[in-house]
Amino acid sequence: MTLTLTLRTDPPAQVLSDPLIPERLRALNGSAVAAVPLRCGGETVAVGDLFEVSGAGSEQEALVLRGDLRRFDWIGAGMSSGTIDVHGDVGAWAGAEMAGGVLRIFGDAGARLGSAYPGTRVGMTGGEIVVTGDAGEEAGAGMRRGLVAVGGRTAAGAGLRMLAGTVISLGGIGDGAGLGNKRGTLASGRALEPLPSYAYATRLEPPALRLQLIRVRELGLTVDDALLRGAWARWSGDRTELSRGEILIFDGEEEGQ
Amino acid sequence: MSSFTLGAAEVVDTFAEAFPMRYARVVITGATGAWALEAARSMTGFATSVIGCKCEAAIERAVAEGETADGRPGIAVLLFAMDREGVGKRIVERVGQSVMTCPTTACFDGLPGAERTAPLGGTLRYFGDGFQASKVIAGQRFWRIPVMEGEFLVSESVGIGHGVGGGNVVIGAADEDAALAAAEAAADAMRGEGIALPFPGGIVRSGSKVGSLTSKSMPASTNHQMAPTLRAQIADTLVPDGVAALFEIVIDGVSEDAVREAMRRGLHAAAGAGATHVTAANFGGKLGEFHFPLTDLRDPP
Repeated sequence: MTLTLTLRTDPPAQVLSDPLIPERLRALNGSAVAAVPLRCGGETVAVGDLFEVSGAGSEQEALVLRGDLRRFDWIGAGMSSGTIDVHGDVGAWAGAEMAGGVLRIFGDAGARLGSAYPGTRVGMTGGEIVVTGDAGEEAGAGMRRGLVAVGGRTAAGAGLRMLAGTVISLGGIGDGAGLGNKRGTLASGRALEPLPSYAYATRLEPPALRLQLIRVRELGLTVDDALLRGAWARWSGDRTELSRGEILIFDGEEEGQ
Repeated sequence: MSSFTLGAAEVVDTFAEAFPMRYARVVITGATGAWALEAARSMTGFATSVIGCKCEAAIERAVAEGETADGRPGIAVLLFAMDREGVGKRIVERVGQSVMTCPTTACFDGLPGAERTAPLGGTLRYFGDGFQASKVIAGQRFWRIPVMEGEFLVSESVGIGHGVGGGNVVIGAADEDAALAAAEAAADAMRGEGIALPFPGGIVRSGSKVGSLTSKSMPASTNHQMAPTLRAQIADTLVPDGVAALFEIVIDGVSEDAVREAMRRGLHAAAGAGATHVTAANFGGKLGEFHFPLTDLRDPP
């Protein structure tokens, strides 16, 4: 059974949404979900004050959120199982320090998507995040494992200090990506100028990226066949770290030359 | 021994005797179906019998682009051995030597979700000499091993299933050409999902018996009772009058049912393609856990 929360009222301030993860709601009925407290600015509000609740928590751990949720930060943060589908834009820190499960955002995401909280070294340790629109700054910061896939663009600083894992941005990755990256993969569907601490290695058809692109297509992103079949430039870095990370940049235009 | 007829063939009322085995399935993909097939042929070479090759392996089927993990054309290969350890060792050797080496290929576990597994990429990764990298994609770990072409992608582990090895039918006719044509028709009919025919072209002409009349150290020797050249010099020949050549098709399958149905397809195809004599090999019924009486296969598939 799916639990659906539809936004009724815009909150007066930013809301910390991390209580709204499927594993925490699985045993709650509709009224218990409506009573879950959320921090909103300096206040505490109940879920039912902001959302219309339909359905209940369940073993399937399926949660749907609807509405313009740009004032909702930390959506899916810390989740380790289940699925959240958001139909609308979300605020910052969506999927922060996520450990498992699937977070799909049919809209735009704010800054620090799937990243580490301030002061912590490790961000996502598992799970998959898909955003059909654009994502804000520093997506995937501190990521250790997992996948962040963005259909549009990611803003500056994606993959900041990432340890491993993958950030894909089909619409292109912003400036300064992969600073301090140890073993992670950043894949950009559009051209970009990597940081000077990255070095060009080669062009290839990366087999693991192909699997990941097929996976994100299954999860609802539109992935052009050209990205699956084409060649990608591989840049190695960050050389200030292990130089075992990579930025893959779609380079299909030169295919066949 | 009693018998029944099926078309023009006399079918001996006997049974095939088969054994529990363990198996793995890998799906090899390539830039083209031809390269995937090259790798699969190499990987399944010299894998006819556990006695001499330590495993039995064969191409199971071609896998269409839309069905493979990476969307490229693929070939499914089944590999059988007597236990999980055996499957694990052989799969690493063969994928390492025949698939990793083959241009453009990637190699995926074909039994996802199996309870028991054996490492594949988890072992092969050491070929990467520290430069290997892994990715967890949709809950499964893959290893990326840098090679001269680019990267070889391989599943961390393969599922191990409980299979059945040693199902068989023996097909004879009045001359070698006719017997071979019937055996070829049977092999073509038997191939399919869940089935491996490990011998060349699926057909073995040197069927064996357990042990030897002349040596204590030989684990197996020629099935002299089914050798037409010996029918006049031994008392217990199984070659009937009018049969000049016999071919055996050995079947390994992912289940008892898969083997039985493959035998059924083969029996009827052989009977329709010129076989005059069909029988099966067994060891008196004491060694193998699975028995497949030919009389159970009278109904067409």
